[in-house]
Amino acid sequence: MYKELRNLNYFCRVDSPENLSIDLSVSLSNLSLRNPTILASGILGSSYSLLKRVEDAGAGALTTKTITKNPREGYANPVFVDLGYGYLNAIGLRNPGADNFSKELSKAKKNIQIPIITSIGGNSMEEFIYVAERMVESGSDALEINLSCPHVEGYGLDVGSDIKLTQQIIKQLKSTSSKPLFAKFSLHQSRIDILEKYIDAGLDGISAINTVKALAINIKALSPILSNIVGGLSGPCIKPIALAVVYEIYREFPDIPIIGVGGIQSPEDAVEMVLAGASAVGIGSAIVRKDLGIFVEITRGIGRFMLDNGFKSIRELIGYIHRR
Amino acid sequence: MNDESSTNKLLNDEAGSIQLPRRIQSKYIPGEVYSIRQLTPSVKEYTVELEEEISANPGQFAMLWIPNIGEIPLSFADYSTRTVKFIICRVGLVTTYMHRNIIVGSRVFLRGPLGNGFTLCSLKNCLLIGGGCGLAPLYYLGRVLSMKSCRLKTLLGFKNSSDVFYVSEFSEISDTYVSTEDGEEGFKGTVVDMLENILREETFDIVYVCGREQMLMKVVRECLAKSMKTEVSLERTIKCGLGVCGSCSVEPVGLRVCRDGPVFDGRLLLQLENLSKNDREEICIKN
Repeated sequence: MYKELRNLNYFCRVDSPENLSIDLSVSLSNLSLRNPTILASGILGSSYSLLKRVEDAGAGALTTKTITKNPREGYANPVFVDLGYGYLNAIGLRNPGADNFSKELSKAKKNIQIPIITSIGGNSMEEFIYVAERMVESGSDALEINLSCPHVEGYGLDVGSDIKLTQQIIKQLKSTSSKPLFAKFSLHQSRIDILEKYIDAGLDGISAINTVKALAINIKALSPILSNIVGGLSGPCIKPIALAVVYEIYREFPDIPIIGVGGIQSPEDAVEMVLAGASAVGIGSAIVRKDLGIFVEITRGIGRFMLDNGFKSIRELIGYIHRR
Repeated sequence: MNDESSTNKLLNDEAGSIQLPRRIQSKYIPGEVYSIRQLTPSVKEYTVELEEEISANPGQFAMLWIPNIGEIPLSFADYSTRTVKFIICRVGLVTTYMHRNIIVGSRVFLRGPLGNGFTLCSLKNCLLIGGGCGLAPLYYLGRVLSMKSCRLKTLLGFKNSSDVFYVSEFSEISDTYVSTEDGEEGFKGTVVDMLENILREETFDIVYVCGREQMLMKVVRECLAKSMKTEVSLERTIKCGLGVCGSCSVEPVGLRVCRDGPVFDGRLLLQLENLSKNDREEICIKN
């Protein structure tokens, strides 16, 4: 099974020969994706070999773990909780640091064909610029600014809550690099008036949503579970929230590409996200239940849905419900 | 190095089907420490009674959570009807806390079983090789294999005689030999030296190994030279335990110890860039 899945090239084949005419490729700014599945940030993207495995498993693009200037150990265990209806994590932006990761990225660029989006983190303008420059030098195809990690002081949401600083970061990064610039937002930041400012500052695309700040308590232990106490909630329980955010962003900014992230576990979930307005879908914690086979499952399932419903190109589906 | 076929070959049969949906046991099950045995100055055996039944295979692991202290991965040293045995070497914050503060009656929390265990064969001629605390998963494996009518031989290697433990337990289920580097107990030398002697006269259908990676590498080389199949249990820093965070990646092949392993075909070792610096036995001795 494993070998068979890895040997398929584009994962858009369903059983019928008719399916050969189905086009699952999408564009995100100037990136071309063979299919709309993207490895979400924070999952497996900390080394070349892991990124390569996800490419082999059929993803359309890869987002790396959030890279900071210096290496970060992250938090002590427990860092991940399975709640049944979703997952809570506070890994603490564990990453090898920009200088070490740039070597992995250079290797990845030589051997990986699909686009690589580097998620960058920082607690100051200088850190964002340093990391972005290193990543672009090493061949990153695009950047995604992490403005929404809910559980690391001074990073993510703490930066993203400062609208003026965020605007300056976007402007500065756009002036130093020609690579497409995405930003990942949380539910609370996805206000249309704020996003408009970021788009005016030069943002090329939006990734929504990041995990939602949350807490899990074990009553038998009379204790919070995560060592960091609070973490970010992902998984099926946040999917309807993510859908609403993507829907509203697309409604206001139909020309801005959106990577819809949040609780996508099946082809049906992915189709919903695309219908709401996403050009591509981020896959993350679904790997807990389905492992890397999730990329093939979703791509094939979207293909089957298109066949059954008479769509030739997935691009016809993007934002479809807005045109009813 | 990292081509598809070679990575694929290194996943054992069970791991080969990991892409299929399966039930993941990752909720905490409360348990109570039922007994504690001091095995050596730095090694203790904890027997824990769980509130719920689990289905743990030899070689799989659990994450043991001590609230407000931390969570660590541990192999099952034994399991039967809600009773788990763990062999815990004092190496870091959580294990040191456990050695000092966890007593009979203490409450602990476990999520698991996680990962993929050893291949369980029947009627085969099997060799188990354990170095120091690495022997833990091999005891449970040996017990299960002995029930499957396998012929078992066990080689246990320790630094010196004060580190020796679990010999009588292994002797009940297998033909057991001990090596110590100072020669105070059993064969004088390393477990690899002892293996070389044994392989001059015998061959095995499968060799299961757990311990320091340097030792695993030498054992795998010896066994491959005689065309014997090997399975090794690897150790890396495990964080999420579910294959999503990437912390336990085996480089440069990108296999995750927590999800694709911890048990792998021994040939994986021949592909590693650097052997792991995680060295339970040595840190244990320093403490």
